[in-house]
This record gives sequence, structure tokens and C-alpha cells, in this order.
Amino acid sequence: MNNAKKAIFAAIGKALPAPASAPAIAAELTQLRARIDATRPERVSGPPDEVFLDRVQSPGVAASAERIGSLNDLPAAVMRYAAQHDLALNIALQPHPNLEALNWSGLQTRDHVGTDETLAVGLALGGIAETGSLVFHSSPESPTLFAFLPLHHIVAVSYKNIWPWMEDYVRAFTGAPPPRNVNLVTGASGTTDIEGTLVRGAHGPGWLHVVMVGPPTD
Amino acid sequence: MNAFHGRVTAALADATLKIAIDRTTNTARAKRAAAIAAWPEFAQARVLGRDIKDHVIANMEYYLNQFETNAKKTGAKIHWARTGQEACEIVVGICKAANAKTVTRSKSMLGEEIGLPHALEAAGIERVETDLAEHIIQLAHEKPSHIIWPALHKTREQVGDLFRANHTDPGALETVEQMVNSARRNLREKFMAADVGISGANFLIADTGAICTVTNEGNAELTTTPPRVHIVTAGIEKLVPSMVEAMTMLRLLVRSATGAELTQYTTFHAGPKRTGDVDGPEEFHIVLVDAGRTTMLAEGLAEMLRCLRCGACMNHCVVYRQIGGHAYGATYPGPMGSVITPSLDGLEKSQDLPRACTLNGQCQEVCPVAIPLPKLIRGWRTKAWVQGYEPVYTAWALRIWEFLALRPALYQIASNMALRVMPVFAKGGWIAKMPLAGGWTRYRDMPRPQAATFLAQYKKRQAAK
Ligand code: SF4
Repeated sequence: MNNAKKAIFAAIGKALPAPASAPAIAAELTQLRARIDATRPERVSGPPDEVFLDRVQSPGVAASAERIGSLNDLPAAVMRYAAQHDLALNIALQPHPNLEALNWSGLQTRDHVGTDETLAVGLALGGIAETGSLVFHSSPESPTLFAFLPLHHIVAVSYKNIWPWMEDYVRAFTGAPPPRNVNLVTGASGTTDIEGTLVRGAHGPGWLHVVMVGPPTD
Repeated sequence: MNAFHGRVTAALADATLKIAIDRTTNTARAKRAAAIAAWPEFAQARVLGRDIKDHVIANMEYYLNQFETNAKKTGAKIHWARTGQEACEIVVGICKAANAKTVTRSKSMLGEEIGLPHALEAAGIERVETDLAEHIIQLAHEKPSHIIWPALHKTREQVGDLFRANHTDPGALETVEQMVNSARRNLREKFMAADVGISGANFLIADTGAICTVTNEGNAELTTTPPRVHIVTAGIEKLVPSMVEAMTMLRLLVRSATGAELTQYTTFHAGPKRTGDVDGPEEFHIVLVDAGRTTMLAEGLAEMLRCLRCGACMNHCVVYRQIGGHAYGATYPGPMGSVITPSLDGLEKSQDLPRACTLNGQCQEVCPVAIPLPKLIRGWRTKAWVQGYEPVYTAWALRIWEFLALRPALYQIASNMALRVMPVFAKGGWIAKMPLAGGWTRYRDMPRPQAATFLAQYKKRQAAK
């Protein structure tokens, strides 16, 4: 143990009663965990994908969203978005095999994101209905900066991968080694640093567009 | 007049400051109230949040060891620092070993507390603050005046002037939007060019060894991802057992701070770049800092170590809203600062802070982890009294009061006299000026007293029955 750590632990030992045993700590923690579910905001009723889309477009999150039938429809959705926002048909495409396999004809694509990127298209690992958050795990197929550098970020997410509450997402990965970055993205970048006034596009994207992939259709 | 009174007098005389404080804290209070109203389970969650933090603090050694073991597994390098100075030396040492010319920094109150900005400057390393508010105060050569909105004391007009003087091609700076865009353009290249990125940590996740940052701007990830080296400085009290508990704490923290349900960017960082990653730092260092935390534990301030640094207590503090953050003369202003600062800087130097409080209890009521701030503030007042730090006039006034209070007849004569004298200075129902009461009446009026004392009125009413 290095000296600083030793000194800190000695000070803790002096200030606190004798440490509890590991099983006693674990037992206390289990009791605390049992209380979590009752404290969650009781709003996730209905299919998680629908609640998620509602939250994403709620005033607090303020992203735009649409639903498409299958991932094959994503390039067309991107072209529609670009036309609507008057953007060049030139995108940074997250290097995910499922995205790269799509037919992007009519659009210029590159597999990296530039410092002043205008439009990037990505695929999230999933979403959280409670908060309307997209979940990204960093990997060679999901570089972190795709969610931070572009001015407009379009993100596809499968309707099957929506967890109702934040804890449900965590439990789905408990025990697995943590990715380098878990990024929970809830709406476009914003700041209230000048007089508490909300302005979008502070450093990260100014626009976030969520494309849900898959049912329901009617 | 001592230094604290001087700063308070200056703040109270600054009309622009009052406008700036009101603009942000009024919005913050309204948004928090709406977020809490929309979460009926808040009261229960708050008690749970308190219990989770108490559990971790009571078992700090256990969780620190667990965090260290797991963080090392992710490839993070762990450093321990007893003091702020030790922490700064470690950070500067890592920067020098990396041959760093510029570092980007994402807002961290611990960094401010230990004097990291100054240490980097002293080492000749260019520091770029990336949080918009920190960027503003860096340009103004000032210190933060609030823990969530460090530039809360600046009006938009003042920010416009600063950007006009310091930004390249700022363009028009009439609206807040134009100001934010100018900062975005000016900081862009700096994010990508930095050698080292420094962040704090809102939570240390014991069972994975990850650290959590929360921002609304996205500046934390732009600070920590492009540079070769990411350094985290974190207080040892920031632990939570796992990501599950972190979620409970996040619900409490974000609603209390900004009224949102979750920050736009909530990121869990675990170690350096992995094989095949196209971005991310090559080195990942975590500096675990004591800097007075274990002293607080020993001084009976363990409850204060629950603090999530949400800022709600200052937004709701009647004193903070009059004088702003700089008047406190410390890193942490408002109620939480009045508890922490005497422990960090010594009571003799900061004895005025616990006295700058009306003990109205609002801070405790809004605190998301139920810290009994008024009780802890009273504790410092008692210590100041016992250690003889009370100002002479207060000590004398209390002694005179004690003398009278023990002699009811004399006490009645004295209060009757006061009641006769005070109305002479009243205009309408209020006293705006009175000899010996200038300290009170300079910034507020005193109500004109009743015609007779309570006891006299009581006797009269009893007699009439
Ligand atoms: S004392 Fe409570 S209200 Fe104040 S900053 Fe800390 S957690 Fe927030």
C-alpha cells in the first residue's frame, strides 16, 4: 500500500467504528436495493418503446423522432431529414456492420467523424423509456465521438432494445466487464449557463433525431 | 469591518449582481419544484439516497478497496492524495510525463477546491476550461460563484462584452444563442488539440471501477475522449456500490440541480482505449483525494459527506440570494459551503460563514440527501463560541441579555424602555433607520414594535376575563 493510501485508511479507521464484515455489508446492501423499485417514477406504463418515443419528444428531452419498419428504410429517412434541414447529402456513418450493410446510394458516407461534422448517423445499443435516453457502449463499431462532434445526430434504435427503467438497463449487463464508455444520451446538447436560459447545441449536437426501428405498425 | 463583511457590503451594493442572481436562481427553483412535483416518490427516494450514502461512508475502506481493485482491472492507474497540494502535484506530474502543452478541463468542484487551475498555470501548462460557465470566468479571471452555474453572477450583457473582447470572429453577440455559438466555434479546435483532458467524477462505481460524469453540454466527453491522457480527480466520498445505486442518486441529483430528469450526457468511463477503439485516451488516471474528508468524518460531519453538489441549498438560501457566491470567499458558497469551509480552511478564518445564516431550514428541506445543514451550521456556531471566536460585541450583548434574563423585573423594565424608544424612529409600520441598529437597517427595514410587551398584553387580557 502506498503511503498516502495508508494514511487515508488510517484516518478513516480512526474516525469510524471497526469495519463490518463483507457479508454484513452485502446483506445491508441487499436491503437497500430492495427499496429501489418503490422509488422509481411510476410513469412507465404501456409498451416501453412507445413510452420511450413519448419521452424523447417531451419538452424536457426535446428530440425529434420517427418510426420505420426496418433498418433498410434508414437511408431514406436520413435523406428526408437532410432535405428538411437543408443539409448536404454527405454523412459520417458510424462504422457498425449493420449500418454499413445498408444501401446508401445517393448519399456520400465516411466511417469517421470530423471536428466540424454537420450530420452523423449512428446505431444505439438501446434506449431507456423512463428518461428517453439512448444507450451507447463504446467499441470499434461505436466510437464515442459520433455522439458528440456532429451538429445533427440521427440515431437508429431497435424497438426490441428499450428497457423500461434505468435499473433494467443496468441489470441487463450486470456481471459483464464494463465497456470503456457507457454514454447515456438524453436529448441534444444544451446549456443554461448564461442567466439560466436554455440554449441547444452548446458543444455536442444541436439536433438529435431518433429513428425507432420496427413495429408497431397500423 | 472584517474581510467577510467587506465582501458582503460590496455585494449588497451591486445592483447588477442582484439581477444576475435572481435570473438564474428563480428559474432553478421553479424548475426543481416542477420536477419534484412530477415525482411523487421523491420523499422515499430521498431517504433511500441518504441511506445509500450513509452505508457507503460507514464502509468507506471496503468500497474504496473494491473500487481500486476493479478500476485497475479496466487498466486505470490509481493515485492517492492526502491533501489538495498532493493531488495537484500528481496531476501536474502526469501532465509533465505526457509532455503536455495544453490541457482541457471539464468543470469539477474538487479541482477548484484543491486549486488545480492555479497549479497547472504555475507549471506553465495552458489550461482550457470547456464548460461554458467556466470558460466565461476563465476569460474574466474570476472564480466560480455557484457550484452548478459558476458564472451565475454575470449578466448576458457582461458575457457579450467578454466574448467580444476575447473570441475570434464572435459575430453578433446580442442573444444568448449567439454567445453560445461563438463559444462553440472558439473551443472546437481546442478540444481536439489538447494533450491531456481532466475531469472530476460525480460517482465512483465500486463494483466496476468506472467513474461517472454528468454534463448538459457534452463538454466532459469532448474533454476526456480526444486527448492521449485522461485524468480524473475525485473525492473519496464519491463512492456508490454499483451502477444501480448510481441511478437512484442521478434521479435525485439532476432534478435537484436543474429540474431535468437526467442530464443530456451521463457517461460511465472505465479505463483507457481498448483494442480496435478508434477514439479514447491511451492513459487513464484516477486521483483519489482526501483533502479534509477524513477530518470531516472525525469532526462529526459525516453527514456532509453525502453531498451530491447539486446546488439546491444555495438556490433556496435567502442569504446566498442576496449576496451571491463570491462574498463567501471560499470554493463552496451557500449553506453547504458554510459547513464545509470551516473544516477545510479552519474555523478561525471562516467563523463568519456559519453566522451568515437565518437557520430557516429551507436548505435541509430541499437537500436531495437530507443533510441536516442547519444542525451542522449550529454546531460550528457552538464551536466558535466555545473557542472564543465570537466578536466582542456579540459576546457582550449576550452577556447583558443573560444578566437581564435572569432578573425578570429588570428585563421587563428594559423591554418597556425599548418599546417606548423604537416607535420614535418608525415611519408608517416600519423602521428604516435607528441608532445602534445600522447593521440591520442598512439593507432592510425593521417592523415597528407592538405598543406593549407580550407580558403586559397577556396580563391585561387575563385581567379583562
Ligand atoms: S448540501 Fe444537499 S442541497 Fe446542498 S449541494 Fe449538497 S446535496 Fe445539494
